Amino acid sequence: MEKLEGEKHVKYILSVEKRKDDFESLVMDHLRINGAYWGLTTLDLLHKLDCVDQEEAVSWVMQCYHEDCGGFGGNVGHDPHLLYTLSAVQILVLFDKLDVLDVEKVSNYVSGLQNEDGSFSGDMWGEIDTRFSYCAICCLSILHRMDKINVEKAVNYIVSCKNLDGGFGCTPGGESHAGQIFCCIGALAITGSLHHVDKDLLGWWLCERQCKDGGLNGRPEKFADVCYSWWVLSSLIIIDRAHWIDKSKLINFILNCQDKEKGGISDRPDNAVDVFHTYFGVAGLSLLEYPGLKPTDPAYALPVDVVNRIFFRK
Amino acid sequence: MGGSSCFHVDGMMLLKQLEVILERDTLINEIGFVHPSQLATLDRSPDATHYDETAFWNKDHKLAISTEILQHLYRAVMQEYMNVKKRLEGLIKQSIGKYSSDSPTFGSDSDHLLESEILKHTMALLILNSDFGSAWNSRKMVIVRKAQLSLLMDELHLCTLILSYSPKSQCTWSHRRWVIEIIGEKFQIMHEIVGQDSELVKQIAEKSKMNYRAWSHLCWLIPYMKGTQVIDELNKSKKWSELHIADNCCFHFRRRLLFKMLEDISAREDDESCINQKIEVYFLWKEELEWNESLISRYIGREALWLHRRFLSQCYINYFTIDHETCNSNGEDFHGIHSTLDDFLDKELELLLHSLDVTDNEFEDTQVQAQHATSYIIWISKQVPPHKHEKLQSRLQEMDLKPIMIKLCADKPHLCVSPLLQDYNSNV
Repeated sequence: MEKLEGEKHVKYILSVEKRKDDFESLVMDHLRINGAYWGLTTLDLLHKLDCVDQEEAVSWVMQCYHEDCGGFGGNVGHDPHLLYTLSAVQILVLFDKLDVLDVEKVSNYVSGLQNEDGSFSGDMWGEIDTRFSYCAICCLSILHRMDKINVEKAVNYIVSCKNLDGGFGCTPGGESHAGQIFCCIGALAITGSLHHVDKDLLGWWLCERQCKDGGLNGRPEKFADVCYSWWVLSSLIIIDRAHWIDKSKLINFILNCQDKEKGGISDRPDNAVDVFHTYFGVAGLSLLEYPGLKPTDPAYALPVDVVNRIFFRK
Repeated sequence: MGGSSCFHVDGMMLLKQLEVILERDTLINEIGFVHPSQLATLDRSPDATHYDETAFWNKDHKLAISTEILQHLYRAVMQEYMNVKKRLEGLIKQSIGKYSSDSPTFGSDSDHLLESEILKHTMALLILNSDFGSAWNSRKMVIVRKAQLSLLMDELHLCTLILSYSPKSQCTWSHRRWVIEIIGEKFQIMHEIVGQDSELVKQIAEKSKMNYRAWSHLCWLIPYMKGTQVIDELNKSKKWSELHIADNCCFHFRRRLLFKMLEDISAREDDESCINQKIEVYFLWKEELEWNESLISRYIGREALWLHRRFLSQCYINYFTIDHETCNSNGEDFHGIHSTLDDFLDKELELLLHSLDVTDNEFEDTQVQAQHATSYIIWISKQVPPHKHEKLQSRLQEMDLKPIMIKLCADKPHLCVSPLLQDYNSNV
């Protein structure tokens, strides 16, 4: 059986940060803050967060902050969006540095994006998606400012995106998709609203995502992909149905997607690695209680000790 | 990228050339990023005088860009864009202060120049990186102040162009919806837009299989569709899905269309005028079930087909069957067009029997088919009232199907727990 190449993954993540010259890295610049969250969380799960210069990282995150509105952009000078604001808050909480934030201002930005029907827009241009509901709810929960939104309406909107198959889509009537399901289930878990979910029905849809090769796919008839080791598995854990899949086959699938020479994890065996899949592979293994990794919280997508620090300090 | 091997590349000059090409040929409908050696083999274009032929090729509304220059081009356009973006933001702040209005309009020639600079640079930038949301936002900032139909249609054209080679670009789809919403508010051409985008989605889905974003876009358009358009879409997507039976997205689109019709009739008063409509939907549903069954027997072991059947059966049970034992109609009274629940279940058990017939066939497909069928019947058992379970169980026993079903469910904990199989174990 394969083993986790932890040290090589650490090296890979640190090298991604330095490589900025080729076109492939340039066109990822707009979501650099997401990349930073994936990379840094992976390092923390591998007990190696101290490999990075914390001050430098925090100061860069704060350069992405828009003082006028309270949101964060994906990179310095880029427009603010909930997707990036959540990553910024997650990075700061990883470093236990929430005190650099104007919490009131950031949470006002987030709550200001809630619509009349309870849904959330991603930014001022108004696109609505259950992904943004998750970003907003997770963010406000970390900042202890959930009282700023209408939680009941937020929950009702998410529930209105539930399909007959038990899954959830991006808007009401949208096709069930494992990524969207994670966002909806994560948001319902954080708001204590899981009673709206038919766990057997949803668990059924989720466990049918396991493919012959042991990996999980995100929708029917698709190939398995390492990132769904996170989206599907975290949802299964939240609704207490993780025993419906074959965990050892999944562990093998993830381990087979490692670049054993240079580090990093890819979407499928023998493909090119990237930081996104490296994070979801390692986080998936953490959910599967793979030895040597910090445990991960399935709803907040952060190490459990970090989440405990948010809620149980003092 | 072999960028470092270039002795000196003038990114700004290349950017100017690209922007001239885009300005002169506004009908470009295809873009390719090709290796320089491949670029050299393309027929020379007669008007290739205004650009470097080792970097670009433009003919018959097609554009090719050398992969060798992409990083230089990208750096140059980012620099230009970030400059004009700052100036635009400054201008907006200034004019909000001046007129204290939420949507300031710009008056001077230099303002208009800045707007066209924004449109020019973001077009080049988005062609290179379509998921750069800030660049789309800057375009929105300019367009929202004008709301001219021609400008909005140009935006749709740009989206179409980019989607032709980046069919999953989330930001491009999102921008397209934003533009369509404005068109819907201000102009009476939604009927045409729906038709046009339905074609676009199918064209894209042809090349980009199971494209969630593309089909979500079409589902998003459903509320804009008129009754005849819904029927039309059902007919068109039927042919499409017959050729793409693994594409769950298209089946989901059909489910949304069918469900919309069901919701429409359920919401209406039970007056004479809608009885015909109810009958129509009932027969449509039966037809869909039969069509699905024929696909299931033609294409063995396809998950998307069985999932579609789950939906169809679940709705059929809820809206169109009547349960004699409790004398309750599960749905409304559909003027004698109901089937009984028992008849329906009998038909589904026949399908199961047929699908489990794997005796002299060890092919993987047939095994998968048997698994889907078993899973389907257990799913159905969860949709019917508990007093039907006993009946289903005894029918399964009569047909001697339980042993094979239990075998098929052995490594599937979520199916093993079904009462349909459990009781059999305790009876033995």
